[in-house]
Amino acid sequence: MKKSRALVPLLSVLLLVVASLSLLPGRAGWLLPWRLTGSDAELARLIVWELRIPRLLLALLVGAALGLAGAVLQGLTRNPLAEPGLLGVSSGASLGAVIAIYSGFGAAFALAVPLLGFAGALLGTLLTLTLAAGGGVLSLLLAGAAVSGLLLAGTALVLNLAPNPYAAYEISHWMMGSLADRSWNQLALAAPFVLLGIVILMATGRSLDALSLGEQQAASLGVDLARLRRQVLFGTALAVGAATAVTGTIGFIGLLAPHLVRARVGHEPRRVLVPAALMGALLLLVADIVARLLPLAQELKLGVLTGLTGSPFFLWLVWKMKERTP
Amino acid sequence: MSRPLVASLLLLCALNATAAQPHRIVSLNFCTDQLVMALVPPQRIASLTWLARTDGAAEQRALAQRVPSNRGSAEEVLASRPDLVLAGRYTTMTTRQLLGRVGVRMLEVDAVQDWDGIRRTTREVAAAVGEVARGEALIARMDAQLAEAATLRASVPLRAIGWSGAAEDVPGEDTVFNTILVTAGATNIAARPVGSSGFDLEEVLRARPRVLLRGIAYNEDRSLRSGVADHPVLRALPGLAIIDYPEGAWACGVPAAAGYALQLARTLRALPAEAAR
Repeated sequence: MKKSRALVPLLSVLLLVVASLSLLPGRAGWLLPWRLTGSDAELARLIVWELRIPRLLLALLVGAALGLAGAVLQGLTRNPLAEPGLLGVSSGASLGAVIAIYSGFGAAFALAVPLLGFAGALLGTLLTLTLAAGGGVLSLLLAGAAVSGLLLAGTALVLNLAPNPYAAYEISHWMMGSLADRSWNQLALAAPFVLLGIVILMATGRSLDALSLGEQQAASLGVDLARLRRQVLFGTALAVGAATAVTGTIGFIGLLAPHLVRARVGHEPRRVLVPAALMGALLLLVADIVARLLPLAQELKLGVLTGLTGSPFFLWLVWKMKERTP
Repeated sequence: MSRPLVASLLLLCALNATAAQPHRIVSLNFCTDQLVMALVPPQRIASLTWLARTDGAAEQRALAQRVPSNRGSAEEVLASRPDLVLAGRYTTMTTRQLLGRVGVRMLEVDAVQDWDGIRRTTREVAAAVGEVARGEALIARMDAQLAEAATLRASVPLRAIGWSGAAEDVPGEDTVFNTILVTAGATNIAARPVGSSGFDLEEVLRARPRVLLRGIAYNEDRSLRSGVADHPVLRALPGLAIIDYPEGAWACGVPAAAGYALQLARTLRALPAEAAR
């Protein structure tokens, strides 16, 4: 397979172009700078600065976090089907965020939402990785499904007990994931956690490369496997947990992004990390633009869009694996 | 007159009275809760929905605290031995079917959105609970409030929208909210011919409302949308008046809606003249 060194610069340029274009369309129509005068220009400035730029930055941040987390999880578990949404990370983050919002912690102390999102994601990831330890591809997915089921039941329980009668209704929308109507405040709440998570995950590349040769080989190369697991665990929980707490559940970006770049950069996990993060950001940004542009009475939720495009891909991957390992 | 005849006549009157004036009324719908509380004393209410204790106007919430509450299950309704059950047409379907089968007297009340509809359902429920005069008094009060609101209306209606932090939940044309707004002298920007329509914050801003009505529900601070409803861009927008309103209370087609319309008409009138934008 041809390896391409041009992928990262190419993705970066593409990301820059799409990011700039993303400031133009919205559900209320296009904002074209040369057409705006007087009070329209002032309103457009408010819309771009207070709504579209925070939304853009969140899309980049969250997309990168999901793509990177997917790549790292796939490297750690040596399983091409690993993905935050399938391993109980996202459902754990949802549970944490729901507890923060409906217990009133979130209103009293804004940081509680990303913090509990992080704690929930940590719990979900830890449970799945512990349950699946030593098992194969299938046992990881089964563990992920079981843990997701448990955490979703926990979320349902919290909603059942929530003192706000509309909690379940609200959360059913939130679970579908969206970047609409986010503000700088929410970006500022999530960004430190997500960025720290991204830094931790980026540092795992060399160990993941060694691990791809096998656990014993990795250990003989001086990789501390227990430390690597902790690193992945915390990095994923920080990045995905805080991201989910602000945007709701957005699935399959973490699955799609690494696969889309792997053919171009080769299979060493380290080489996949940066392109996967860029691809994740690009995918989420494009999905968000599509969600805005679709002429529907209600904006299509991001998670619905990524789910609709991502799950056929997941099925195709499963199908391909079945062919390879009868 | 012979004694047995008198006795049986008295008994008949008593039976009639109980039939005409139910004393164990159960309501299975938040809006019929509001009507029942307006029409009969609490002693005659067997139970109201659990929502009545937490949503709606303060006075009604306090009243609802003094009577038992139900969650709409057939079992608890039957156990309370109601002589009249009031229900909406859309919720608690299995309970309504079961109550219908065992022959409990039940009135299914339409969800109405305009003043004519409110007059009709108020009379209907007032007749069912045997409080026709009380029902007429409520309607007369409502009409007086509507007349007063009409005198307060500005010649040019103010552009308004009901936005509470959730894009998917903006009250549209066919809502009590819309009726209150129009009566108070505003036009609903979101008045599309569906119950509620998608309206994200950008669409709200670009529609240039003068008034943004923000629904406050029970435990509003423990909700997702309250975080969005405080979006800084709303404060940055020049000339936008933000008015909080009790969302639950404004959702029901009951005579009290006229009081909210009058109150809103006064608030709108007191707004400073629109600043040049």
